[in-house]
Amino acid sequence: MTPYTIKETLLQAKDLSLVYGDKCILHDINFSIRDIIRPGLQQGQVVSLVGRSGMGKTQLFRLLSGLQKPSSGSITIRQRKPAETGTGSIEVYQEREVRPGDMGVIFQNYYQFGWRTVKQSLLLAARRNKALAGKEEDSIRQYAEQFDITDVLHRWPGQLSGGQQQRVSIIQQLLKGADYLLLDEPFSGLDVCVLDKVVELLLQVSLSDELKTLVIVSHDIATAVAMSDTVYVLGRQAGKEGSTLVREIDLMERGLAWQKDVRQEKAFAETLEEIKGCL
Amino acid sequence: MFKPFEKISRQTFLIMVVSQVLLTLLIWQLSPGGLIPQPSHVLSALGQLLTTRLLIDNLLVSLVLTLQAMLYSILITLLFSYFSVIPFFHSIAGFIVKCRYLTLTGLIFIFTLLTRDGSQLKLSLLVFGIVPFFTTSFLAVILRIPAQEFELCQTLGYNRWQSLYEVIVVGKADQVFEMVRQNFAIAWMMITMVEGLNMSEGGIGALLIKYNKYNDLTHVLALQALIFVIGLCFDYLLGLLRGWLFPYTQIHKN
Repeated sequence: MTPYTIKETLLQAKDLSLVYGDKCILHDINFSIRDIIRPGLQQGQVVSLVGRSGMGKTQLFRLLSGLQKPSSGSITIRQRKPAETGTGSIEVYQEREVRPGDMGVIFQNYYQFGWRTVKQSLLLAARRNKALAGKEEDSIRQYAEQFDITDVLHRWPGQLSGGQQQRVSIIQQLLKGADYLLLDEPFSGLDVCVLDKVVELLLQVSLSDELKTLVIVSHDIATAVAMSDTVYVLGRQAGKEGSTLVREIDLMERGLAWQKDVRQEKAFAETLEEIKGCL
Repeated sequence: MFKPFEKISRQTFLIMVVSQVLLTLLIWQLSPGGLIPQPSHVLSALGQLLTTRLLIDNLLVSLVLTLQAMLYSILITLLFSYFSVIPFFHSIAGFIVKCRYLTLTGLIFIFTLLTRDGSQLKLSLLVFGIVPFFTTSFLAVILRIPAQEFELCQTLGYNRWQSLYEVIVVGKADQVFEMVRQNFAIAWMMITMVEGLNMSEGGIGALLIKYNKYNDLTHVLALQALIFVIGLCFDYLLGLLRGWLFPYTQIHKN
């Protein structure tokens, strides 16, 4: 088993609920994401929230992104901020409630401004990131090469394929400099070849920084399990209206995290069955 | 060509339009005369008008007034429409939209009192007539903006003013242009009406009224044809300009 240790809490959702009128959508959502340390690696976190359609996954996604306020409960994140000291600049950490803009958000349909070319859209994001001041164009060039979109930098969103749009959305949110990346159904509508590429790309992102945290909301259980370190299952409790987290599965403990050929493992198939049983 | 939703080539469409126009003109030409002049007479009257200084001078007066009115109307519309997302201005924008139901004729006296001369009176009446229609169109554009556009701004960390600028000012600039194109017809239609109020300055409207007064239907129809063609030309030019300024609007057309 790969050695690892768990450190500070990076994100904590506490007693979250969402109610529309008298209809309860989500209730008693409690979970936390903690910093995973692996020797010799910059290991980010990959957490999946899986559940059947209509279970309120997208609603939970919106709560986590700060785009929507919960009816009760809170989501706090640990954020790093540069601070000036007498001897130079250091990074300090602060915990606070999530706000819109804290998270990098990749919507299901990879929405981009239709009136901006890819490069202009990426520049908008890069300019929000103080760490990139003066190096925006270089960063865009690097990401574009890494994600294989150099050829489409001058195109409009309407001229891109679904895969290209997804990569542009991911780069945009990465350029923004957010440690947290929320992805709503990133595997839906992708063919097998593109799906593998996207998984590889997201894993690459998760390894780009120690604090980089990917939260994937998906109903594709197999892919979510194959690339995550932790899976939360969203489901219904008997006799209760609305959805809640019915199971937390620690894939690191089961030896299923960070394995390239994890799908061949027996424990992987058993985990999938276990998740299906919770849905 | 006669099936619903059938797709036809551009060339076929053009041939069809030209044939329909020619057929209409032929039927008109061959129909019994009566009071309505035949197209050949209208055409020759138009040819005769085009050679006179009278038409060009009056046409210029009307064009300048229309463009002036359009410019002011766009500025006023944009100002109130952009600010309509601020609750304080929302009601004002709503009131402007409702002003579509006010008739200009009933306001002529008030505007006469409020303005210095005939030229100002015509301009203010035109602006007052155009702005409610412009505002209605643009507010409809703003209302149709998908929530995702604002949400993308939020995820990029924009504040509300920055979101307004990105999504409404920059993002809808192409639609402002389209709105101007569509509503130019209103301005062009109203110009003939307001020019009748102060005929001393001339204008194509004043010319129309003059020919109408003497029942010179041939010249009236010749002028109408000219107004129609100029309107179509503006429509085409504004469309071209929109495609050039906002190339992304052409993606789906291509």
